Amino acid sequence: MSIAPKPTSALLIVGHGSTENPDSSTPYFEHADEIRRRGLFAEVHCCFWKEEPSMREAMYLIDSKEVYVVPDFISEGYFTQDVIPRELQLTGPTTEVRGKTYHYCLPVGVHRSMTELILKRAKEVAPGVDPAETTLIITGHGTGLNPNSTKAIRDQADFIAASGAGYAAVLDAYMEEQPFIAEWDKLSQTPNVVVVPFFISDGLHSYQDIPVMLGIESEVGAAASQREIFRHNPHSLREKMLYYSSAIGTERLLADVILDQVSDFDKVHK
Amino acid sequence: MDSTANQLRDLLKSGIHRIGELEIQTDVCSKRLIICHFADIQVSREPTFGGLLVHEGPEGAREISTYSEDGTYRFTKGQVNLKRGWVMLLQNAEDLRLALDQFYPACVGLFLAQQGGTLEIEMLRDKLNRQTGMYRFARSISDAGAQKLVQEVCGPAHQCAKKILWKLDAQTPLDDSEASRFNGIPGDLPEAEAIPLLCREACNHFVSECRKAAKAEFEAKPEP
Repeated sequence: MSIAPKPTSALLIVGHGSTENPDSSTPYFEHADEIRRRGLFAEVHCCFWKEEPSMREAMYLIDSKEVYVVPDFISEGYFTQDVIPRELQLTGPTTEVRGKTYHYCLPVGVHRSMTELILKRAKEVAPGVDPAETTLIITGHGTGLNPNSTKAIRDQADFIAASGAGYAAVLDAYMEEQPFIAEWDKLSQTPNVVVVPFFISDGLHSYQDIPVMLGIESEVGAAASQREIFRHNPHSLREKMLYYSSAIGTERLLADVILDQVSDFDKVHK
Repeated sequence: MDSTANQLRDLLKSGIHRIGELEIQTDVCSKRLIICHFADIQVSREPTFGGLLVHEGPEGAREISTYSEDGTYRFTKGQVNLKRGWVMLLQNAEDLRLALDQFYPACVGLFLAQQGGTLEIEMLRDKLNRQTGMYRFARSISDAGAQKLVQEVCGPAHQCAKKILWKLDAQTPLDDSEASRFNGIPGDLPEAEAIPLLCREACNHFVSECRKAAKAEFEAKPEP
């Protein structure tokens, strides 16, 4: 989808960030760099919950009077519905705060175009593998605290199953709620299994925790950027061939999904 | 209001040339704007920048500022362990502003807001009371425990070069210490020559340390 340039507006990309993992915020900055290169906005900034600059410092970054806020999060849940609005003092889709107009867009993970990115990532990680003999598993964190946190993943599994991509099965699985990703082999009836982590960054969960749950690693390893050798697919495990991709948020085209959410906001609210 | 980049240009004209560990120079080797670690000023003025690794444009700022020389993750950008050995060439004040926002996020804007009287400071208790998940417990730290942490975690002696603006709450200032007195300018420079690094809210590292200290306080309490 193309977006009309907004030369007097700012784009604010909001992420989680981490003081522990140096890779956590990398995709957000890369998405910002990509959009900045296209020259569509007067300015493009990032802010975070657990990294600098904080959401409350964001207003000191921005010159423009109009600001599009896009949560670079994978689901609608506690952070996008409670924490971000509270921190940025947003009360609805459009809010005036200290002389600036903030437009609050939906998070990237709920956009329909994520389906294409998942399929692209699945094909890249398992080239030449017949989808008819393959189970595609989209995996996320999962939490009993908010039912919305898994909805985006369940929706994507349904979209792909109905898309004609040809996978024998398309499943959702989670770290902390059923169906558990640790049981990927029991969930799958096919000889090949492709697992795509539905996270924004290759941080603690997708690069360190889930590989242990899958059986690729015996213990939690170092951060992705501190490894000398990236994992090599496929992994012959539990009598199946397992293909594990990097987090969906590291896909460069996610910058387009951010722009899609801005464009969709204008269609619905302006 | 004038743009941040234009105000930054005016600050340079007024004699400011330093922010954190960065030296900002003009007209070196016929380049309009360059930045480098302040310990590399002399070598940067030699022909071809004295062999320093040259970065064209602001894009490399995040990579330079993510790890220290020994490979340690710089989890807060106020840390005084910025890598040396590089120089960044910038075309204009807008690129300079972009680079500075990567090295020291929002610090130019925070300083301008302070100068203009619009900077909002967040007290520690407000910050702790908004924490979620596992960090929620941080709010139970005692005042004495928080005061002690400031002296154990903050200030240049503990690798942070930010000037602390917050108090525990509106009525409870920080105890006097090297950390609470530090002016946000590393390297013994007159205040008129530097943009200070301002700490308008406790950083997430400090919040994390509050959580640990609060747990230790809880576990040390005698059972009723």
